[in-house]
Amino acid sequence: MSVVEVKNLSKVYGSGHTSVKAVDNINLKIEAGDIVLIMGPSGSGKTTLISMIGTLLKPTSGQIIIDNEDTAVLSDTKMADLRLHKLGFMFQSFNLLSALTAEQNVVVPLIVAGVSKKQSIAKARKLLEQLHLEKRLNNLPKNLSGGEKQRVAVARALANEPKLILADEPTANLDTKTGLEVMQLLCNTACGENRAVIIVSHDQRLKSVAKRVITIEDGKLIREEKGNHNNNCSMNHGNIPR
Amino acid sequence: MLFLARKNLFQEKTRLLISVGGVAFSVLLMILLQGLNVGFSNILGQYLESVPTDLWVASANTGNIMDPSFLPPTLGQRLKNIDGVASAQPFGMQNITTSVNGKDLAFYMIAYDPSTSVGKPPKVSEGSVAPGKDEIVIDRIVAKSNKIKIGELIPFADKKLKVVGLSEGTFILSTSFAFINKADASEIYTLPTTTNYWLVSVTPGTGVQKVQSRVNGQIPEVNAHTKDHFVQVNVDLVKSIVTPVFGALVVLGALIGLAVIGLTIFTSTIEKAKEYGVLKAIGLKNRQLYVIVIEQALIAATLGFIVGAAIAYALNPTIVSAVPQFVTQLRPFDIAWIFGVTILIAIISSYIPIRRLNKIDPAEVFKA
Repeated sequence: MSVVEVKNLSKVYGSGHTSVKAVDNINLKIEAGDIVLIMGPSGSGKTTLISMIGTLLKPTSGQIIIDNEDTAVLSDTKMADLRLHKLGFMFQSFNLLSALTAEQNVVVPLIVAGVSKKQSIAKARKLLEQLHLEKRLNNLPKNLSGGEKQRVAVARALANEPKLILADEPTANLDTKTGLEVMQLLCNTACGENRAVIIVSHDQRLKSVAKRVITIEDGKLIREEKGNHNNNCSMNHGNIPR
Repeated sequence: MLFLARKNLFQEKTRLLISVGGVAFSVLLMILLQGLNVGFSNILGQYLESVPTDLWVASANTGNIMDPSFLPPTLGQRLKNIDGVASAQPFGMQNITTSVNGKDLAFYMIAYDPSTSVGKPPKVSEGSVAPGKDEIVIDRIVAKSNKIKIGELIPFADKKLKVVGLSEGTFILSTSFAFINKADASEIYTLPTTTNYWLVSVTPGTGVQKVQSRVNGQIPEVNAHTKDHFVQVNVDLVKSIVTPVFGALVVLGALIGLAVIGLTIFTSTIEKAKEYGVLKAIGLKNRQLYVIVIEQALIAATLGFIVGAAIAYALNPTIVSAVPQFVTQLRPFDIAWIFGVTILIAIISSYIPIRRLNKIDPAEVFKA
């Protein structure tokens, strides 16, 4: 069963002579456990595509079906519920809440989803421990390194056990080694739990963590190839340096 | 999401301080101004309440104690003849201006009758409560602000009266009550053969309003007021003078609070626009974001209220001491509604930040 199905998806900005087709008739099907890397030059429409799949941007035409729900017919409230329960987000600049500690950042989506405070804290701690952040629970984002921030973002994205994780340029603000480590951690966790991941990135090395690599140019899907993910979806992250 | 609101608020200490300080200043203004409003409004009523009578009998067209009222001394007997009247005592009170230390002072001179105690000061803070011949009891605030001490002589007409006591609760706006012996009143009053009011006590078991009707029915040239009504009319009179002024200032105080808290929460919302976008992206609904903003405003407002109220209570005695003309009454009822206004201010001040939240596009979070 597909987690996301994108049918004839297009997005046009502006109108008339000044209109720009950012996404042009894209069709895509992503299954549970898929790790899809979307690549392409700047301005090719990658971020527009991931924003539409994340229900943060309305398409001009076409259809997005997430876990059997047609997003076009959902109200804003239902759309927010869908994002909360079925989608997890990771961003280039981490976007952690600056006033909250690492643990509290992970707790937020859980509390919003109605999980009790006690259970939320327990789950946030468990996730952060899996990501080797057990000693950084009470640190504010400003006191975390880039890699640590992105690992907190991973934990936050995984908190509500979403079916799909959307990561936009997740390694752009990290050094090469740390970026790859964090993505390995995300992809192994997601793969091990049968979650789908869509990564938008320029980083060629992320092909090693992806199962599918899609290339977009001028808003069109021009190529799809196999990634180098080894399909060993182990939950053992002991090899990830702390 | 209270913890998020609290964390957001306490993250930026300087802004929190400005916000709390602004609300505290606003609350301080509101409490003290309302205290003055109540103090000034009630003081005349409190004095009239202390006068032992059931009915105030005044001239026919006299509605309140500031209106001139002149009644003949023979009226007493006519009143006593009315069924249900137990006693009728004359109450002399005339507005007289004199010069003290080169400054004009206006007094409502009340004639004190030692035989009946009518016209006695309600309370003295210093000295005698009962002025004898050639003596006067003046208000403590008047004495303090004009540097008049006990033992000093104040000229009235051809007489000089010695200050023997300082009364409390007898300062009304720009004037005050003063108490002189009945024997002196007849020499100082402009119409010494008249009295100004008759105080009527009704016989036990007789309805006050029934006697009031009889007095008004049988003596058409007078207007008998029940004590409660007379007190209320006079309180309303003072309120009609002071409340518009203080009311406007209280509203100004509230607007200061509204502006400060509104601006600080608005700037905080703008600064955190991207974080609110992240919250929208991860699935928070708009109304949940509104709650965060309102909670921040409520926390700041509540802290500001606590600080402002504490300062108001702490400063009040100092202010009253430094400016004796300030008569303040801080009532729990007023503190409660000012708290209500503060909460309302917090909610209203959230309106613009909430409108700003609506405009935050969660898709922006994908921009680096």
